[in-house]
Amino acid sequence: MAGAHESQPADAADGPGERTDGSAQTTESTVIPTESPTLVWLALGAGLFALEAGALVHFIVSILGDGLAAASLPGTGFVAGLQTATAEIPTLLSRETIPNGGYWTGSRWVGTFMGFRPDVAWAIRAALIYGYAFAVGGWAILGYRLYRREYRVADWTPRDDVIDRFRSHGWGIFGLVVVWMFVVMAVFAPALGPTTVDKNMRNSYANEMSYWDTEGESVETILVGDANLASQSRGDSDDRVLPMQYDDFGRFHPFGTLPTGRDLFTFIAVGSRISLVIGLLSVGLSAGLAASLALIGAYYKGRVDLGMVLISDAIMAMPQLLLLIMLTTVLADTWVGGLYSGGFLLALIFAFTDWTYMWRSLRGPALQVAERQWIDAAESFGQRPRTIMRKHMLPYVTGYLLIYGSMTLGGAIIAIAGLSFLGLGVAPPTPEWGRAINLGQDYVTTGSWHISLLPGVLITLVVTGFNALGDGIRDAIDPRSDSANEGAAGRGGGA
Amino acid sequence: MTTLRYLGKRLLLSIPVVWLGTSITWFIIFMGPVDPAARLLSEGQIRNPAAYEAAQTQLGLDQPPLQHYFDWMWNLVTFDLGQTWLLYQGSNVNALILDFLPRTLWLGFWSVLIAVFIGVPLGFYAGMRSNTAADYLASMGGIVWRAMPNFWLGIMLLALLGSSASIFLGWDWQSWLIPLDAVSGSPDMSRLHTVDGFLAATKKVLPAALVLGSASMGNEMRIGRTAVLEVRNEDYIDLAKAKGVSDRALVWKHILRNALVPLVPIITSEAFLLIGGSVLVETVFGINGIGLLFYQAAIQGDLPLVGTLMYVFILMIVGINLLQDVLYTIIDPRVGMEGA
Repeated sequence: MAGAHESQPADAADGPGERTDGSAQTTESTVIPTESPTLVWLALGAGLFALEAGALVHFIVSILGDGLAAASLPGTGFVAGLQTATAEIPTLLSRETIPNGGYWTGSRWVGTFMGFRPDVAWAIRAALIYGYAFAVGGWAILGYRLYRREYRVADWTPRDDVIDRFRSHGWGIFGLVVVWMFVVMAVFAPALGPTTVDKNMRNSYANEMSYWDTEGESVETILVGDANLASQSRGDSDDRVLPMQYDDFGRFHPFGTLPTGRDLFTFIAVGSRISLVIGLLSVGLSAGLAASLALIGAYYKGRVDLGMVLISDAIMAMPQLLLLIMLTTVLADTWVGGLYSGGFLLALIFAFTDWTYMWRSLRGPALQVAERQWIDAAESFGQRPRTIMRKHMLPYVTGYLLIYGSMTLGGAIIAIAGLSFLGLGVAPPTPEWGRAINLGQDYVTTGSWHISLLPGVLITLVVTGFNALGDGIRDAIDPRSDSANEGAAGRGGGA
Repeated sequence: MTTLRYLGKRLLLSIPVVWLGTSITWFIIFMGPVDPAARLLSEGQIRNPAAYEAAQTQLGLDQPPLQHYFDWMWNLVTFDLGQTWLLYQGSNVNALILDFLPRTLWLGFWSVLIAVFIGVPLGFYAGMRSNTAADYLASMGGIVWRAMPNFWLGIMLLALLGSSASIFLGWDWQSWLIPLDAVSGSPDMSRLHTVDGFLAATKKVLPAALVLGSASMGNEMRIGRTAVLEVRNEDYIDLAKAKGVSDRALVWKHILRNALVPLVPIITSEAFLLIGGSVLVETVFGINGIGLLFYQAAIQGDLPLVGTLMYVFILMIVGINLLQDVLYTIIDPRVGMEGA
């Protein structure tokens, strides 16, 4: 085993010549080559945390403020003050630290990071964000390895084999990287976009900006909304802004502009956030539902199991996408439909329709576990059914939950995009990838080809990533299993 | 005999499934937060109590809920589907479905066919030449093809075909072999029995069928590849080789035929995707099918029609499931023998 550990890709901190074969006889760590590896690891973590502490605290305080305001409790004013105070804490990865919005004065750029061109400033910020995210990922892997070597009592557990198998699974690693990049995009959406949703979309007529007027050769100010009107990507018009281009007002658009003149990259970055939140929420809910029902059905068998088969068959007999359309139209005007631009309702509906597919795939493994002798032993031991299910059955199906969860998440992203393409689900001012495809639908064959093409390519990439991650986990958990029984998972009901 | 009993049991089990699915639909539509009668009326009519009451009476909503439920269910079972309210106002729903359904079936038929005749051979090819460049290319293509959203793929394909003359050096899809009036739109189902009409309707629906079948195609490819790989490692293949069976017979008779078995349930279970995906594909390609009808009814608030169409969809899916069971017992007689 020790030999295999030496060739880990995360060994960046591992100095050559200091490997000790992992026999744990020396005090020196093989993960971090110092006397006190834990301290170094904690210091690294503290450093990474300090860079973003302001953003995190601000995030927590604003959630608290929203909660207080919603419940109309006292202390709202205090929290609001705290909110503005925390917004002042400098963070490395924010548009305030590395601004990319500025204007040309005829000789130099004003307002951008260190006077760079806006595209360079934006690229620096995006690169830093992704660098930071991968550093955090590396730090977490390092921490796990440290724990495994230095603190865990057991030298080896079956889970180690699963992780080692996953690490040598190139396709699964590819999926993990794609998924991680998507998650980072969703988490850092406000900092990643070249502009903000509030400034560029919601309140574009309440924000002013300066720009260099090439004809008058002077710096002028204009409302953002008016600037948007003059940078619309419609067909072959001269105003259109293609990917990696500037508009007439010195604004850089990495993915070009929408037919409304708004920035497509900002739209997509914020849209990824709502897709991920809905996806995670719905998959979490349906996984919980599917796992508990599969365990109950497998434990009690007989009529309970048959009843569940009938219910899931009945829900599956209604095509998922049509059920989604029906439920979103019926429930759109209720108070649940208003939460998170309709996203919360979508997540609930997904959970209600998706658990059947997941339950189908869990039922087999759960029934197999229920036949094992240790279940009988636990029963004769006098353990309660709930304890048996949780302690002696659940651990054997969690792996399958991960596999199908990953694939269902990809399917949920497709289905959410499909619904917002039809104009259902996520309510219009909130960005969603499917809506960008819908907006650009008429311009695909014209000069403004980018509006539909780019979001579609991104969806394909992200869904491929989630499927690859699912494949990787499956091969890691059970190398002999085949891919034959995935069926409809990961397809979002045919969207 | 056991096979028949197994099929009988499946048929019996499908009745509560249809009943449950229809009941859920009834509950969502008539007991949900939206008043179907109010949704049918325009802004001005809602304030008119007489019009509102008339709509309620017509829908039977003035009855007690249980009475309404039984009436509604009985109407569905006897296929007395009533009339439409908003969409194609006042027309008979039975006639409407009979008018729209054939186009969806035609689309579904071709998408299954395309998926089977492209996906399965590609998968078998990749499986026979596993771990070669061709295998990786085919597998990779299948995976990406499967991850593409149908509606996006449809838009891109339409754009490509619509301007095919300028992209492919004068090769124009619209006038190629059989001239069409437009790249997208509904196929003409009235002239299917003539050769020309058949070809024109096929060509018209082909791009949409390719898109609709894309997910199944990727799936079938993947599973076909795994099946061939598994069969190749079976003992009886080694035995056949040792006996001196020719390569040709080995591949066609022993490998491919056995690899087909796991594919049958996949092909039928893809029907879920086809029916669900028909809404988006029919919207993108402008085909007047029952999926598009469902979407329009939902958008415009004709909720009774939504419920009726959902019943039709449930019947279709349960029917396909039964067909799958029949096919499975024919191909693999072991099914149903183990008391499944």
